[in-house]
Amino acid sequence: MSVRDLSGSRRWLAFVCCCAWFLFTIFPLYWVAITSLKTPPDVVGGPTYLPFVDFQPTLKAWRELLSGTRGEFFSNFWSSSIVALSSSVFATLLGAMAAYALVRFPFRVRLLSGVAFVVVAMGGFLLGRDVMGIAPASASILAFCVALALSVFINRFPLPGKVMGNDDIVFWFVSQRLFPPIVVAFALFLLYTEMGKLGFKMTDTYLGLTLAYVAFSLPIVVWLMRDFISALPLEVEEAAMVDNVPHWRIFFGIVLPMCRPGLIATFVITLAFTWNEFLFALFLTNSEWQTLPVLIAGQNSQRGDEWWAISAAALVAIIPMVVVAALLGRLMKSGLLSGAVK
Amino acid sequence: MANITLSGVTKSYGSVEVIPPMDLEIEEGEFVVLVGPSGCGKSTTLRMIAGLETQSGGKMTIGKRDVTTLRPGLRNCAMVFQSYALYPHMSVRDNIGYGMKVRGVPKAEAAKAIDDAARILNLTEYLDRKPGALSGGQRQRVAIGRAIVRDPDVFLFDEPLSNLDAKLRVEMRVEIKQLHRRLKTTMVYVTHDQVEAMTMADRVVVLRAGVVEQAADPITLYERPANLFVAGFIGAPSMNMLEGRLEQVGDELFFRGPAGADFAIPADRVDVLRPHAGEACVMGIRPEHTHDRGGSGASVEIEVLDIEPLGPHTLLIGQAGDAKFTGQVAAGTRAEPGERRQIHFDLDKLHFFRASDGRAIR
Repeated sequence: MSVRDLSGSRRWLAFVCCCAWFLFTIFPLYWVAITSLKTPPDVVGGPTYLPFVDFQPTLKAWRELLSGTRGEFFSNFWSSSIVALSSSVFATLLGAMAAYALVRFPFRVRLLSGVAFVVVAMGGFLLGRDVMGIAPASASILAFCVALALSVFINRFPLPGKVMGNDDIVFWFVSQRLFPPIVVAFALFLLYTEMGKLGFKMTDTYLGLTLAYVAFSLPIVVWLMRDFISALPLEVEEAAMVDNVPHWRIFFGIVLPMCRPGLIATFVITLAFTWNEFLFALFLTNSEWQTLPVLIAGQNSQRGDEWWAISAAALVAIIPMVVVAALLGRLMKSGLLSGAVK
Repeated sequence: MANITLSGVTKSYGSVEVIPPMDLEIEEGEFVVLVGPSGCGKSTTLRMIAGLETQSGGKMTIGKRDVTTLRPGLRNCAMVFQSYALYPHMSVRDNIGYGMKVRGVPKAEAAKAIDDAARILNLTEYLDRKPGALSGGQRQRVAIGRAIVRDPDVFLFDEPLSNLDAKLRVEMRVEIKQLHRRLKTTMVYVTHDQVEAMTMADRVVVLRAGVVEQAADPITLYERPANLFVAGFIGAPSMNMLEGRLEQVGDELFFRGPAGADFAIPADRVDVLRPHAGEACVMGIRPEHTHDRGGSGASVEIEVLDIEPLGPHTLLIGQAGDAKFTGQVAAGTRAEPGERRQIHFDLDKLHFFRASDGRAIR
């Protein structure tokens, strides 16, 4: 049964319920919007709901925000935009490549080589730091590289134990989003400060924040793109292979355009994550590359209850995502594959 | 243009061998059709020639080149897929020209090749459309156009007409044959449709379970099938088979089968069949070589199960003993299911096969 089949009073009841739900979800946005138009006395003097009726709207908060008299708003807006956009583009592209490889090529990872990686990485780090007295950052990077090379190398040999396939690799990717991000954020902060001591400034830099976002977005991208790519017809790629089209051109010239709706959907989801991300930004940035969510969250403690200013800033943080969703939503339409096969 | 040689080519998936060692020689400029029931390995064989499947053993050459381990792009084959496999985001022009663009063919030359291919295939007015805006037949023509401009040594077709409706299939069949006549390039064509195989091929290769049962021109396959499988697979409706026994009585040889099929073998066949006197054998007769107008003694009584009026003639589908038997009778013949009819054979068109291994007795 669908809502369309309802008739008479039940139809009206459904309509009223929908309206109630709509009001419930839209109200916070409405509240932020009118609050940004209020004067300080209107905000603190008890609730008022209707502009021009309850209170006289003013653009004072907006004027202050946009004229930059209230601090670093523009700088934060730009760092948010740059980091969010570039990390989403990188993550989507990189994740699409990984997903393509995971769909089209069978991988065999031996459990034992994975264990070897963990043991060598952890043991090497402890050995380097505690016994050989290397700086923690150098020790961990060194141990990591050695462990990676070693595990890739020994994976070529017929080791005993379980052999894992592509589905296991995808699960491993997704599993990185199962634990609380604070675990990673804290470890990442330590790693970045250690690297800073070596001379690579990573905290509060574009590179540091973007790398963290790319790494943390990849699991979702791989997971989403894998479904989109596995839905593509293999024959189209085979036709290109017979036509002597190099593999990288098949990927960029044929596979990516064919899964464009999926790419855009994934990009928007990733962008929403990186634009709204708070925890990493809080840990890894402080002034130069601080993003909007951190700024807005900090307003209350920095300046007190200036809700009109906070509301205006919050709206500015919402608007770009609404615009992106409106622009790209139309490109997410399916049906792009029609005519490829059958 | 090139010939293709498969020597001892095998294909296994794990421990399952789908193609036991296969030897096949395809002449330069020949139109060879691989035909067989589904799962017989015909598509696998084609894909091994294209290089899309790696072969598990044996050697393959195209022309003078050993291509056994060569990747698909370097074999200079062009392939047309059952599902067309067009690039959906490109116009027809770009679909046909994409390979040339990648290979760095000069623009003017590529444009000329595209126009020529489009003219041959009647696609000129559709060049700027996307595949999604084309009909099935037009899409398949685009796929063929993409193959033509490759100027390949070998054309490979993997059931290209299976997705088209019956009328279009007949038209495209003729077009592909004309294309072969015009280009004179070696073509390997896979189909499960024996009518397609018979009408198009210079030579038909009948496969079963990865084994070449017979490779010959269509008329030879039809008139002199090498074994029971080929006899039953080629021809529609398929050949009637009656199990029986050859018996020698004096100088004459008799076939003793079910449902009254008991007759003397014509004198010109006796010498060949005599060594098998006393053995179990299978007699084959095609429906188009039967009739119900009386005449000589060789006949079988069938119980009519169904009647198929086809226009030029009518088929009586019936049961003769344990075996299905289809008789071809004059158009307008009326019969009711359950009726008994006497069906006569044309004695010159009989086939005999050894019951033990199914091989034809000649």
